[in-house]
Amino acid sequence: MTSRAKTEILGFLRPDDQLGIRNRVAVIYTTHCSMVVARKIQESFPEGTQLFGYPGGCALRSGPFNKIVALGKHSSYAGALVVGLGCEGTDAYMVAEEIAKSGKPVEAIKISEEGGDLKTIETGSRILVKLLQHASQAERAKMTPADLIVGQECGGSDATSGLASNPVTGVAADLLIEDGGTYMHSEVSELMGCGDVLAERAVNEDVAQDIRQAIAEAEARSFEQGRFSWGYGNIMGGLTSIEEKSYGCLTKSGTKPLQGLLRSYGPPPRKGYWVQIAEEGSGTFHGDPEGINQFAACGAHIGLFTTGCGSTTGGLIPVIKVIANPKRMQLIRDNADFDATPIIRGEATIQEMGEELYQEILEVAAGKLTKSEIYRHFEA
Amino acid sequence: MRRRAILLDVNDDVATALVDLEAGEKVNASLDNVSVDVVLHDDIEFGHKYALHDMVEGEEVLKYGMTIGKATQDIKAGEWVHTHNCRSERFGFHRDQYGLKA
Repeated sequence: MTSRAKTEILGFLRPDDQLGIRNRVAVIYTTHCSMVVARKIQESFPEGTQLFGYPGGCALRSGPFNKIVALGKHSSYAGALVVGLGCEGTDAYMVAEEIAKSGKPVEAIKISEEGGDLKTIETGSRILVKLLQHASQAERAKMTPADLIVGQECGGSDATSGLASNPVTGVAADLLIEDGGTYMHSEVSELMGCGDVLAERAVNEDVAQDIRQAIAEAEARSFEQGRFSWGYGNIMGGLTSIEEKSYGCLTKSGTKPLQGLLRSYGPPPRKGYWVQIAEEGSGTFHGDPEGINQFAACGAHIGLFTTGCGSTTGGLIPVIKVIANPKRMQLIRDNADFDATPIIRGEATIQEMGEELYQEILEVAAGKLTKSEIYRHFEA
Repeated sequence: MRRRAILLDVNDDVATALVDLEAGEKVNASLDNVSVDVVLHDDIEFGHKYALHDMVEGEEVLKYGMTIGKATQDIKAGEWVHTHNCRSERFGFHRDQYGLKA
């Protein structure tokens, strides 16, 4: 598309040379005991701030600890305020110290040291104002699609997911990777029967083994538990086998070589296509927003979210909601960012819509707000 | 003209209905340089598949360019392709075990 070259992305350059497409300050709670205070501080200055944390932080566990640190280091954040109670294992100073390795300003406060809610809110607010002012002076730098990392989530799938919305994201993924960018998805358990197909796309034998094994393990778990992402609704909807459903899901991966499986947080070591697997016990939320935030923890700038049933959730990064079901689109247009219904209506091809979606990705990278951002669907 | 069926890969043996289709109607499915016209033998509901050409029992059925199962009987062009005449080799064995009858 000719307009692609015209989309100029002016990003935010971070001290660790990461490039962000948004410029915010993170407010992070390290345990449920500091959540209320952290929220009050953040909500006093909603413009340019986001709240997340680890409600179970009383105990120190590596997965969730690594996740909130990785999120704190995310390129969207110019700085971070960490709010702890004081006695939790997920120590606020420790979290701040790790995030500070990115070179960004990070401060930590503990409610027990400040002397209760009100004093902590006052101190925290003052810190947040300072961090917001610092953020406003962030250095700008030109970005190209090669700097972009995009994650793909599908939720509330229906027949249109495998026929249109997932294939459309796959086309956009290929275009992004052709321009040098990075793309990831997760949900290995939805890829039953796709082990060999993905192994063939692996960049080397180790990666081939890794993906084959990851999918085989997910299959084995499904058989052990007698639980499948498969039911009568799928059959009534026209799907003949689990493989057919999986292939519909796999279309979101595009066609480019598989670089590897991301099992730890931080931006991927190389560009291209990756499969992301959450660190053990790192889930602090549920469902699709968790998936989006896992991508964010792996450095993703933007999440693509295909939904047939019309899920409305977002996450910490801008989410482009892709809907291909015409009836659902009519009902939930207010929450949709990308209309893929022309495919189902027989008016456009997957390729055409994929090119449009890629353009939308570039525009969102350049600053266009998604519905999830405008509505502050910052689930975390 | 609006497409009434979608072909997802040029090597596919089946196309998927984008609207409810009726037996007797002639439907086109096309992608890139491939264009196949078929007169439907059965009604094909939205999201369901029909055969683009004749297939014999045991033949692999391709959608997305990949095997979704094998034909359990001969299938004529324009016939509905579903669990009654196509079955997954890989997971089919386990279906009864887990109460998935179709």
